[in-house]
Order: sequence, then C-alpha cells, then structure tokens
Amino acid sequence: MPSVKSMSKPQTIVDCDILANRVLVSSVRLSDHSAMKSAQAICVLLWMLTTAVRPLHANDADDAEFFRQKIAPLLESRCLECHSHATGQMENGLTLDSPAGWTDGGDNGPAVIPGEPDTSLMIQAVRYTDTKLQMPPDERLPETDIALLEEWVSRGAPDPRKAIVPRQTDTDWWSLKPLVRPDIPRPPPGNSSQNPLDAFIERMLTDRQLTSVDEADRRTLIRRLYLDLHGLQPPPEAVRSFLNDPDPLAYEKLVEQLLDSAHYGERWARHWLDVIHFADSHGCEHDVKRPHAWRFRDYVIDRFNLDVPWGRFIREQLAADVFFPDEPDLTAALGFIAAGPFELSRANTAPVTFDYLDRDDMVTQTMAAFVSTTANCARCHAHKFDPVPQEDYYALQAVFAGVGKGDVEYDVTHDTAVSREKWTAILTAAKEKDADVLDTEEVRSLAAQWEATLETPAINWHRLKPDVFLSSDNAVLSIVDDGSILVTGTKPETDTYTITGSPGVLRLTGMRLDVLPDPRLPQNGPGRPANGNFHLSEFTAHLFSPDSEQATPLTFQTATADWNQDSWTIEHAIDGNPQTAWGIFPRVGEPHYAVFELESPVDLVAGARLAVVMKQLHGSSHLIGRFQLSVTDAAPNTLRVLPFDVTTALTIPAPQRTNDQQTAITAYAATQQAMKQLAKLPPKATVYGVSTSWLRASKLETPAAPRVVHLLRRGNINQPVHKVSAGALSAVAALPNRFELDDSASESQRRSALAAWIASPDNPLTWRSIVNRIWQYHFAQGLCTTPNDYGRMGSSPSHPELLNWLAVWFRDDAHGSIKSLHRLILTSHAWKRASVFAPESQTREHRSDADNRFLWRMTRNRMDAESFRDSVLRICGQLDLATGGPGVEHFATHKGQQLTPRLEYGEFDWNSNAARRRSIYRVVWREIPDPFMEALDFPDLGLLVPKRQFSVSALQSLALFNNEFVLHASEWLATRLQQEHNSLAEQIRRAIELVWLRDRTTTEQQAFEQYVDAHGLAALCRVLFNSNEFLFVD
Amino acid sequence: MQNSNLNMHQSNRRSFLWNAGGGLGGVAMSQMLAQDSLQTAHPELNGGMHHRARVKRIIQLFMTGGASPMDTFDYKPELERLHGQKLGPKEKPEGFVAAPGAIMKSPFKFQQHGESGRWVSSIFPEQAKCVDDLSFLMAMASKTNVHGPGTYMMNSGFLLPGFPCLGAWISYALGNLTDDLPTFIALPDGKGLPYNQRGPFSAGFLPAVHQGTVINTSDGESVPDLFAEKRFQFANQQAGQDGLDLLQMLNRQHASVRRDDTRLDARIQSYELAAKMQLSAPAAFDLAVESETTHAAYGTDNETTQEFGRRCLLARRLIERGTRFVQVWSGPQGATDNWDNHGSISRELPPIATSVDKPIAALINDLKSRGLFEDTLLIWTTEFGRTPFAQGSDGRDHNGGSFVTWLAGAGVKAGTAHGQSDDWGYQAAEGKTYCYDFHATVLHLLGIDHKQLTYRQNGIDRRLTDVHGHVINEILA
Repeated sequence: MPSVKSMSKPQTIVDCDILANRVLVSSVRLSDHSAMKSAQAICVLLWMLTTAVRPLHANDADDAEFFRQKIAPLLESRCLECHSHATGQMENGLTLDSPAGWTDGGDNGPAVIPGEPDTSLMIQAVRYTDTKLQMPPDERLPETDIALLEEWVSRGAPDPRKAIVPRQTDTDWWSLKPLVRPDIPRPPPGNSSQNPLDAFIERMLTDRQLTSVDEADRRTLIRRLYLDLHGLQPPPEAVRSFLNDPDPLAYEKLVEQLLDSAHYGERWARHWLDVIHFADSHGCEHDVKRPHAWRFRDYVIDRFNLDVPWGRFIREQLAADVFFPDEPDLTAALGFIAAGPFELSRANTAPVTFDYLDRDDMVTQTMAAFVSTTANCARCHAHKFDPVPQEDYYALQAVFAGVGKGDVEYDVTHDTAVSREKWTAILTAAKEKDADVLDTEEVRSLAAQWEATLETPAINWHRLKPDVFLSSDNAVLSIVDDGSILVTGTKPETDTYTITGSPGVLRLTGMRLDVLPDPRLPQNGPGRPANGNFHLSEFTAHLFSPDSEQATPLTFQTATADWNQDSWTIEHAIDGNPQTAWGIFPRVGEPHYAVFELESPVDLVAGARLAVVMKQLHGSSHLIGRFQLSVTDAAPNTLRVLPFDVTTALTIPAPQRTNDQQTAITAYAATQQAMKQLAKLPPKATVYGVSTSWLRASKLETPAAPRVVHLLRRGNINQPVHKVSAGALSAVAALPNRFELDDSASESQRRSALAAWIASPDNPLTWRSIVNRIWQYHFAQGLCTTPNDYGRMGSSPSHPELLNWLAVWFRDDAHGSIKSLHRLILTSHAWKRASVFAPESQTREHRSDADNRFLWRMTRNRMDAESFRDSVLRICGQLDLATGGPGVEHFATHKGQQLTPRLEYGEFDWNSNAARRRSIYRVVWREIPDPFMEALDFPDLGLLVPKRQFSVSALQSLALFNNEFVLHASEWLATRLQQEHNSLAEQIRRAIELVWLRDRTTTEQQAFEQYVDAHGLAALCRVLFNSNEFLFVD
Repeated sequence: MQNSNLNMHQSNRRSFLWNAGGGLGGVAMSQMLAQDSLQTAHPELNGGMHHRARVKRIIQLFMTGGASPMDTFDYKPELERLHGQKLGPKEKPEGFVAAPGAIMKSPFKFQQHGESGRWVSSIFPEQAKCVDDLSFLMAMASKTNVHGPGTYMMNSGFLLPGFPCLGAWISYALGNLTDDLPTFIALPDGKGLPYNQRGPFSAGFLPAVHQGTVINTSDGESVPDLFAEKRFQFANQQAGQDGLDLLQMLNRQHASVRRDDTRLDARIQSYELAAKMQLSAPAAFDLAVESETTHAAYGTDNETTQEFGRRCLLARRLIERGTRFVQVWSGPQGATDNWDNHGSISRELPPIATSVDKPIAALINDLKSRGLFEDTLLIWTTEFGRTPFAQGSDGRDHNGGSFVTWLAGAGVKAGTAHGQSDDWGYQAAEGKTYCYDFHATVLHLLGIDHKQLTYRQNGIDRRLTDVHGHVINEILA
C-alpha cells in the first residue's frame, strides 16, 4: 500500500467495503451472520494496520483545514474543469477531485508524490519549467498559488476529500427505473381514436398547444406503408385496389397482408443487421469473406417473419445451444455474437490485445443492441456518466471468455442431429469395442441380422500379368514360379514399386493386392525388414489407353484388408497422406490381402494397360518382399474383405463363440451399418458464429476452459488487477449482477445467464429499448432519439409515459410480439398523419418543434439505399423476389496484395441474375463497400449503426444521375414501357404511374413528350428516378 | 456579435448552422455550403472554427507499411557501434511478427543537410535538399505494432474500424473551399488499396458526404460517376443537361407544396453543384497542360517515379483548385512494393524510397514557388516505425515505439525538429508524440480546437483525438 500515508480514514472504510463484499461472495456457504462477522474483523484489522503505519498526529486537523481553505478552492477554480468526474472531462485520464485521482494519476503516472514536490508531475506542470508540461494550459498560475501547491505536497499532500465512486450508485435515472404501467390518458373530447398511443400523444400536443395535421390520403398511406414494412414501392395495381376498396377496414387488412408477407422480414432484418454491424467479411486488414455468414442473415429474416417473441429472440442469439438444444437449426442464431469485425492480423501477432478487444466488440454490441447501454465506456475507467463500474464491464467480458468467432457446423433438423449422434456413438463404440454400447439389444440384433444376410459372393480375380516392374531405389523385382513378384537385392530405407501390365478384363471394378510369405524373407515375410512387416503408404493406379499418351488416374471408394495392424489400417493406403500407411504386424509369416474398389466401374478398350504405384515411405526398410496383383469385373459393392478376426469368428457357430469373437462380429456389423446410416444423412450446414473452438494465431484452438478475464487498470493489458467472474450490470437493481455459476461451469452457462438477465421481465432496459427501436423505424426518430444509449449522454424520451406504457404493454400484453407492436403503431392516428401541411397554418408552437418530436405530423423520409435500389428494380419489372440463400456479389473479385481480394464494382454484369435480387441478399464487404449504396448513406459497418445517416451532396447526385445501376435501370424501364404500350402518351402515363403512383398533369405530359422526342424514353426514366417525388416518402 | 462569437467557441459548426438554417434541412444544407456561412459569419477567423486559421488545405502523404526511421531520417550512430549484438527482448513482444534478432546498423550512409543540419540517409537525396522547409516529429509513437490497427490509428485516432479519418473530420468541420471539386480526395497507390482497404478514407459515423472520394488514377479515372458512360447514348451530354433542367423543374414543383422542408431545397442545390463540378473537375485531372519542366521535376517521365509523381502533381492541382484534403498513398497493403521491409532493408527499401523521393521534393518546391505554402500544409506520415533489431538477415520488424513524421508549409516552423528517440531508435525518449498530438496540431492550424470538434455517437461525444492530444507548439511558427 504505497499511498497509505496519504490515506484518510473514510477511504480505508471504502476499501473495507470492497473486501467485505469479496468475503461475502466467497463464503456463500456461511450464514450471513458469520460472513458479516469476518468482514468486520477484516475491517478492524485493516484499520489497525493503517493507523500503525501512520500514527494519528495532532496536526491532522490542521492539514485538513489547510487543504479545505487553500488547496480545494484552487483546484476547483483552475484544475477541475478539465480533470474531474463532475465535468466529465478527464484530460489525459487525470482527475483531481479525489485523493485516488492524483494518486493513480493520468497517462503520465501519479500526479502527486506526497512529500516530494520536485518529483511531483503536478508541481512540475504548474511551475512551467518543462515546455511540454504546462498546466493550466492557458496561463501560468500566480507565484503565490504555486507556492501553496508546493507547500501542500511538502506537507504530505493531505486530502480529506472522500473517494469518488463515480456515480456507481446513482441509478436514479429514467431508463433504470422499474417498469410501471402508467394510466392511459383520457382522450380529448371529440377524439375518435381508440388507440392508446394516440391518447398519450394527443395529451402532449394539447399541453404544448400544438395542432396536429390530418390523416394522409390513401395513396400516400399505401406508399408509406409498403416502404415502411417491405422497403419496396407498391405496384400500381395494389394502389388502385386499395383506393377502390370500400371496406372500412381496408387499411387494417392491408397492414395484415403486408405483415404476413415474407418481404416484411427482408426489410426489418436489415434494421437489426445495421444495429449489430453485421457484414459478410471480416473488415480490418485481412478483410476476407465469410462465406457462411448469410445463414445468420436468413435466420434474422426468418425470425422477424415468424414473429418470434423478443425474449426468445434474445435467448436464441446469445445461447440457442443452451436454451434450445432440440432445435439445432437455431445454431445460426449464434452469428449474432460474431457479427462484428474480426482483426485477423492482430489475432496472429498480438493475441492478448486481440482477445480483449474482440470480446470488447461482443460486449459493446450486446449491451447496446439489447439494453441500450454503453457498457464499453467502462473499459479503461468507471463510466464517466452512467453507473457502470469497471467491474461490470469485465464481468461482461467474462461472459464471452469461452467463445471465439469462426465457422460452426450444425445439423439443420433435430432428427438428423439425433441420428448423427447415435450412429457416431455406435461407430466409436465399435472402434473401441465398448461393450456398454455393443451389448445393447439394438446393436446385437443389428449384428445378428447382418450375419444372417451375409453372403460371400464368389469373386473372379484375374492376375495382372506384369510386363514392367520397377523399384525406385534399385531393389531387384523378379517374377517367381507362381507368377508373383519377389523383391531382392539392395534393401533401401524407402521404395516405390511401379508395376505395369494388361488387365485382361473388359470392365474394371476393383483390384487386389496379395502379400505373400516366402522363406527367403526375414520371419518368412511378407515384408523385408527384420520383423517381416511392411508399411504401404499409398496405393495408386493409372490406366493408359493405347490411343492416348494421357493416363487416367483411378479413384478408389474403399479399401479393405483381411488384417490391419493397430493404427496402420488399409484406408491409409488410399488417403493421399504419405505419412500414414497399411501394415500387418504382428501377423507376419502368413499371407494377407487387401481389396480396392473403384469409385465407379471403368470400361476398358483392347490394349489398355494398367500401372500400379506402391509407395512405401515409412523408412527402416518397411517394404513388401513378395506380392501379387489381380483385377476383377465383379459387381459393384461386393468387394469388401472381412477382417481376419471376423472371418475366423464367423466360421464358429454362434453358441460356441467366445466373447471376443462375438464382439468382433458385432463391432464389424455395427461399423458397416453406422457408416451406411451416416452417409445417408443430409450434410451439415455452416454459419459464421461462435463456438468454443476459435481461430487464433492461424490455428483452431480448443481450450479446456474459458480464458481468464482480468480487470485491467486503465484498460491496459499489462496492468491486470484481479480476476473477474461473469456477470452483468449492477445498475439494474432488480436483478443479480453476478451470475451464480460455479467455477467449473461451462462457458455456455455464462452466455445463457446473460441472456436470461437481459430477457428477464424485470430488466427495465430491455423492454424500453426494443419498443423505442421499432418506434424509430416507423417515425424516423425514436421517442428516445439515441436508441443505443439510454444513459446520461443519450437523449431523454419525448414521451416518457408513452415509452413506459409501450414497454409494459409489449412485455405483458403483446408477449414480446413485434408484429403486434407494428399493428398498434401503424393503426394509430399519429402514424397516419400527413407530412405535407400548409405553411399558412404554421404556428409559433410548430416552429418551436420543427423536428416534430411531438408528432403533430408525419416526418418525411428519404428512401434508404436498399429501398431505392429494390423499388427501382420493381418499377423496371426486374426485381427477383426469390428469398434466402448465399449472398449475391455485385462486383468482380480479383486476387489482392495479401489475403483481402481486390473487388471491382465497375466490372459487375448488370444483366446477370444477381443484379435482380433484393439488396438484403447482397454480399456486404465491410471495408470495400458498394460505392453507389454508400453514396445513399449505406453505413460503415465498423461500428454499430443505430440509425442511418441522411446526407446530400453533389457527389451523391452525380451517383444518382450517372451510376451504371441507374442508367441500366432507365433502359430496363424504357423497354418495359415500350413493350406494354405503343403510343408515347401512354408510355409517359405509365411511367408516371409506376414511379410516382399517380396520374400525370398536362404540363408534365407536354414537358416529358418534348424531352423524350429529343433524347428518348430511357432519358426520361433517368430523370424520374432522380426526382425528389420518388426519393422522398411523404 | 460578441455574443455569437462566444457561441462559436462553445459549440460546433453543426449546431451553429442548425440554428442558422433550421432543423434537418439546415444540416443537409450545411454539408454543402460550409465555407460561405463560416466565412461570412466570422471573417476574423479566416475560415477557422474556434480561432484564426493558418491553414486551409492539406496534402497528406502516407507511406504504407511502416517507414523505417533509422534508415531515413533518424540517424543512430549507436547502431553502428552495437551492430550484430543480441541486446533486444528475448521473446517475441506482442505485435512483432518474429522474435527480434541482433542490433542492426543502417546499410545507408547518413549526412547532415541544409542550414538546419538535419541528418538524412542516402536513400532520400532529393528530400535531403529540402530539410530546411520541413519540421520533424522525431519521436512519434503508436499504440500498436500491427498494420491494420496502426493505419486506423494514424488516420482516425482509434485502433478500431468505424471511426472518421482526419480528412472526414475536416470536411465535417469546415466544409469545402470550392464547389468545383470534392472536399476530400484519396489517391491510393495504383498497385492497390492500403491496409484496411477503404477504411482509412472512411467517414465512419459521420454522414457519407464527408468520406474520401477515392480516385483510381491508374485507370485514368477522375471523379467517379462524373459523367455517364459513353455506351449509354440516351445519357449523352445534351440529354444530361436538358435532363437536369427538367429534373430541377420537377423538384421545384414538388418542393413548392412542401416549403418547410429545406432538405428538398438542398437536393435541388446538390444537382446545381454537380453540374458545376462536371464543368470544372475534368480540367483538374488533365496533367497534360503542365509544363515539361514540371513533369520532369515530379519524375512523371521516369518509370520508377512516374506513378507516385503523377499523383503528387495531381494533388497539387486539386489543392490549387480548392480541394481541402488530399491523401497520396505510397504502397499498397501486403508484403511487397511498400514500406513493410521485413525481408531486407538494403534490398526492399531503396525501390520504394526512390519512387517517392523526387516527387515529394518536387511537390515541396512546387507548393513553395506557387505561394501555396501560404495556406497549405503538407504532411508526411506512416503507421509506425521499425525495429533497430534485424529480422532475418537484414530486415526490420514493426515497431510502434518511435517513428518519424514531418510537416511543411503554412503555420509550421521550418527547419526544426521536435522529440528524440533513444540511442537505438527503439522507443521515444524525449518529446514523445502520438497521433492525438499530431492531429490536434493539424486541427489547430486549421483554426479548430480539437477538444471542441465533437460528434455524438452511441452515447459518446467522439473526437478525432479521443480524450488525448496536445497541440505541439514547438513546431508552430
């Protein structure tokens, strides 16, 4: 405790409290009483320690008084503006509002060293002797003030101020208050709306003397509704039928119809993907594609369309594997945690920094997206404005300490997963001869059935008559009396035999290798080394046609042998891996054989020749000494050699078999069956998500346990303070802030605990957060205009009661149904108001609410990039409404300098099918975005995007006017118009109907005809696509 | 006046224009019409936001890969003495590619130059002649040794993606100087994009209008989408002009019943500005009108220097015509053709150094002789330095400990240096500066207090300088 001398008693007690808490946490098995007692004991002990080091002096009171009289006012007037929690300014990380502030110091270390004015940075700074360190920066303090500070430090820097626990207990804030359902205000007289939202909004308008605008006309409403719910302009036919629908509930019907459509999910998923900065590539230096990220995109679309309750949506994305183990397809939901960038370069060269920063991204995203909290502001120090201590932040890091980002495989149905698990278990059991599994009724009967139906078809083997036979390493290969090949002469370490001959059959389905004993070989062979074994690394074959120089390589589907050495099984001879091989030890001195079945039968022409290559690369002369090759035309799938022990066991009648013999048969039968069943299963799907195996330093690591997370002083990896266990925000009083998990808890329990914490009905942030998000996308701004931040740096809600009512209603009455929330909002008067209003009726009150926060009209909106692109395609009749699947690329890909490819958007073929898909299905490359979409404010997905920007610029207008997409579209639309109508007048009428969804005026007709006469129909379409009437949604 | 002046100091341009122009439309307008409003409201600030500006435009040269200080501008005789001794860290430090080897002297000869007597190695013979115009930061430091984060940091002040770069912040703060050209232009190396692809030109969370317009000069491209491609005949020049007239008529009609929405007016204005840009921009990109002497000076007639030289010359032409911020990149990302010389300093550094040396010297002299240094700042930057220890035979690894940056032009004290690395050039020893201080200084020269240039994003008032940064007064004139 280096700063004990300067510590005053109140601070000691603060420290005690922290310690006491730790005692309480670690002694959960003790009764509360005894825990309290031990905490008190430690407090007393600490107090004694500190007082022992620094006995109380009579002049302590004087020192304190000196500080209060002379130093405190000086700090207050000259320093605290830039260095205190109260102002939120902590320049260079330094605060001077508490003893801990100057003890810990800032970026340059402690500001004051008690008793040592000359070495104290603060004194150096105020002396202005060092040009680089001059405080206060604007002008030097008067000499008298400098002298006071020097005296203070010389006296040992007495500072009786209390430790600042920066607002950590200050939870008196609107977003943290428990949710209580407010009464719905009585609607003003004459108000026809039954919708509770209108009651809240009307009361606010009345209070502010704001007169509201009438409902918009039906044409405006249907366009607004389509673009809002589908991100697509409605077809003119839909507009016509809505305008002519006599049903008083025509509007409500339309809302239902659009909510039921699959295109609803395509639109609303994009909002969520923005919020969580999802993209199809890593971003950063090695910005490589994530080819499987799209599964998560499809998952989100699907969940919005299915209207999955919000609480469940949260659980799925954080821990689907824990909450819904029977729905393996939900593995795709884990793409949520991996949505953000991945700094591959840092992962490789600076792994510790990488771990903390990668988890930082997960924490930032999770807390902003679900509970609108900027927990990440507490990485280096306690949150400056909100009650988030550093402990909370690192507790959240600990939640994600067991996962990493990468491709995760999963089965798409529960049945498949169950089946795969079962047969994989049987396969393993058969390999390990695990009686617990093999001795079950099911496996036994499976084996009996196999044995009963076992047929041993007679196979005709034709000996390959070798005419060329070579050793690569100068051994001597010679044909002996029975036609087999004997190897003699020099005995190299490794060798490769090449045997060529005529097959002698018209159709080739398999080959056989016999290895034979011979008295001339050690141990009688069949191998050449002293122990008689051999290791056949690779067995390959090529076919030569008489009329061709080219050899056709043959592929084998299976290789079986009558006997396999442990771990040196025959499959190794066809696995393409020269490190593995087939051997027969210890059964040397006797003949063995292996059979290789071709992938598919090969028809041979006369004169065809077969070349077989036998690589034996193990070393120590593990080489075959005598062998023979044969070929066959036997029916496919009959070429399996039963292992030696199985063949032997089969010769003995069942009742007389030993246990081992029966197990050999059962295991073999089980293996055959399991492999057959596994091959039949549909392949696994893959998503870019998180799992316990993660890619770091270029290789997959599978840790035994989650990584240890430390609280880092100033967020510095070189300054770990203490271990932190998984938890969440202490500011939410109703919920525990540290999870009750034992140390051995699997990492998945941490995620599920956080999901449960977020999705809890008692978490006031969660429900306030989501209703506001949805509100924002309908009204262009949220009730709270900072949807990712409900803290003190965020905005306060314009309608606090309405927000509370909505949160409770959504949680309790709507049971978390987003579609119910849409219905409620879309059928309100507030949403249906016109945006256009006569300037004459504008009042002072209206001018004072120019941003329309009180919703006296609808806010006009410009289409976002996707809505523009998709609507243009629909108008051209080009839109492909196919849903789901791998992303479409609107660029050509070339090899780049390093891992990141070079993308050329200019080389894309706009007449290809990919051009016509909806924008949600685009491959979004994080750091190489589509310039056209970017010009229309498609965001940089390096950070979370709670709301799209709106910009206007000459460059944007140039893009809209000259970009290839718009020019192609202009041609497409012109073609469509010409196909549908012959006369120019009709073509113009139809163009206006399609783009503006209304009738032409006479002036427009004349002006357009003139323009088309001069420059053609496509030129007019280009102008229409650029018009504000098209771009803006009234 | 007094009062509104105070306001300017307390708020930023955005809120100022918000009040002046009113609501959303005011902001939309402000994105395009920056300089007029600032200039007329506060002529005494000379285009600055918080105090009088010394600089109005900037050319940033960026040496991708981490230019070696001890082989260029940071002379270290101690390395000659200790050459070959294993004195560095025993284990691979975080962010190094490999474990460090022995101390390695520079293979190049150093000499003192100019009246200021700056040491420059033989690798930069042309820039060596200009040292009296330059002001060096000899002890810049980075918080990372990794290219991607380092490149982000040097451009946006953050180690992570998604933050606006210096050019975007300046566009956001000050707007444009001309309607004829984009405000912020990035000229990447013809061989490819830098680390983080378009990340170093991004507007991050600022509106898209502030991002760098990327111009691929190797394709002979000028401003993207400036004109329709020739194969679209219906979009020929006359059709375009008549089309814009028709469009403006339609848009005015549309706005006439929506008079309270100034965003609609902003859109109308944006097409007028687009038309102006079409008229003026092509001339800026036409290097053929430059004299033979100029071309020779920039080395556009020489295979080694022509690519970078052309972009330096273009940068001067753009700045001259009112583009506010131009980035010229040397080297693409990756293992070759840039400043990331892991393999061999003696073999890999000379070609890339030679490709920029003459063009940079020409740019300095050209800006000076044309009087552009009156209000133009030229900055030479890289993401970090390199180790004094050998990697492999004679390469050098990444090192954020100390590296060199220089500034030249308006407001800068020429022929000076600030800061000093240790005897090996491994760590900053004196006058250590981070990108925060560098950025604060650049903003200061533009008349901007870096602490007051903020944008609220996800609950934080974001600054280019995060919570750090001091103006480096030592290098200011």
